[in-house]
Amino acid sequence: MADELLRVSDVSAGYLGQDVLHGAALTVGQGEVVAVIGSNGAGKTTLFRAVCGLVRPSGGTVHFDGIDITGLATHRASRSGLAYVPAERHLFPTMSVRENLVLGAYPERHQTEQLEFVYELFPRLGERKTQHAGKMSGGEQQMLAVARALMSRPRLLVLDEPTTGLAPKLAIEAYAALGELRRQGLTILVAEQQVPLVLGLADRGYVLDHGRIQLTGTANQLADDPEVRRAYLGVT
Amino acid sequence: MTAVLLDGVVLGLQLGLLGVGLTLVYGLGGVLNLAHGQIAVLGAIVIARATNAGLSMGVAILLGLLSVGLFGLLVDLTLMRAVYRLSGESRVLLGLLLMLGVGTIIDGVLEWRYPIEALSVRITGAPVSVLGVAMSRGALMASAIALVAGFLLFIFLQFSAFGRATRSVIQDEEGARLCGVSPATVRSTIFVLSAVLAGLVAVTRSMTAPITVTSGFGLTILALVVAVVGGLGSVSGAFLAGLLLGIVNTVSAFTIGSYITTIVLLAAAAITILIRPSGLFGGRT
Repeated sequence: MADELLRVSDVSAGYLGQDVLHGAALTVGQGEVVAVIGSNGAGKTTLFRAVCGLVRPSGGTVHFDGIDITGLATHRASRSGLAYVPAERHLFPTMSVRENLVLGAYPERHQTEQLEFVYELFPRLGERKTQHAGKMSGGEQQMLAVARALMSRPRLLVLDEPTTGLAPKLAIEAYAALGELRRQGLTILVAEQQVPLVLGLADRGYVLDHGRIQLTGTANQLADDPEVRRAYLGVT
Repeated sequence: MTAVLLDGVVLGLQLGLLGVGLTLVYGLGGVLNLAHGQIAVLGAIVIARATNAGLSMGVAILLGLLSVGLFGLLVDLTLMRAVYRLSGESRVLLGLLLMLGVGTIIDGVLEWRYPIEALSVRITGAPVSVLGVAMSRGALMASAIALVAGFLLFIFLQFSAFGRATRSVIQDEEGARLCGVSPATVRSTIFVLSAVLAGLVAVTRSMTAPITVTSGFGLTILALVVAVVGGLGSVSGAFLAGLLLGIVNTVSAFTIGSYITTIVLLAAAAITILIRPSGLFGGRT
């Protein structure tokens, strides 16, 4: 792969000296959508937190666009174009939708066209500009979290379980929006338990279990894999 | 009674300006700055010494505010950095104890070196009639400065990019970092600002009553009460609580006696914690 945007090499990480991720490796190419599949506690969140600097890896390296960003402070990773949307979203509850979005572009001045772009992608946010983020439904909060990450015009969007707490219909809508971003050429790394949804979007995927990458392949290969079908697609 | 209420408002604005610096620092990182009042006194003594040395009052005040700002920066870059490396309860405890230590050191050094130094900023001129009550020009000037400072602080936090970043750290630190905000930069800046505001309170307070080297502890307690009643981390809360407590203070002093006011204020804080732990005006920044 010539245009490699993210390379995670042999990364181990955990909490209080206890690793939950053991030597994970993955790459994301420019313009690619890559899925990380795994059940609760498989280490997906720890992997992503290590990538964006919220957890310092106990071993291994993370390269973003050829630059070593291992252990770089989160706000610096964010400024360099790596936008992370955690499953818990971490919105600013008593700020308006618009203020949340404007902060997404910090420390740059927000661009009016970027605001218009996210309002176009998520019209419901445009209708609720002045509403407090904390007063919105789960689906709207998820939209806002993604939209806030997009405000900085990231080169890589990292999403941790974007369908958390969403009704099935809203989960499908969320993935439709991600599909639109993909068409526009955005590079996306997404962790998901809703495997059919994410394999419909992704080019490639990794299966993470017990903190180790167990399997990797194209989305089609994974969808046809008997282990994946048994464990994540409910096919016996 | 109008006179008592107006006195309460004058005091309340000072209390608000005093509490706001403490509440911001707490909201940003969980550090209860128990040296807030002592930092104010430090500023006051620098100003007093500077005027003794022949500087004009305006220059001396600038020098005093600059000194406490630098002092705040020094404390932030040394002690506070160590505190912010911890998290949860240990951070709160270490922050509290270190700042208590800083306050004690300031108290001790000032009482040892300059035991009889005091700051009184005199605003001369005949009293002005407000709502039929003759108010001293010092009280009016102090109130005007507190109002302007509070207003500017509000504009800064509400509408500037850095102010918005400050509020984002108060609301959700991890979310702020994901947006590219550096919590350390925000905390350092606000800690310095808080120290300068403490210095400013010393100036305005000394327009109605002298600030002596032993005033620090009392000011810290007042700032703490205001911040708790207003809701820790809430700027508008600090000013509203300041006004409320200022009026409570003067009314109780008028109807019962001045010996009771400290008890009344502490009781107000205790009752607030019992009824609404997040403060009367908590939950907003």
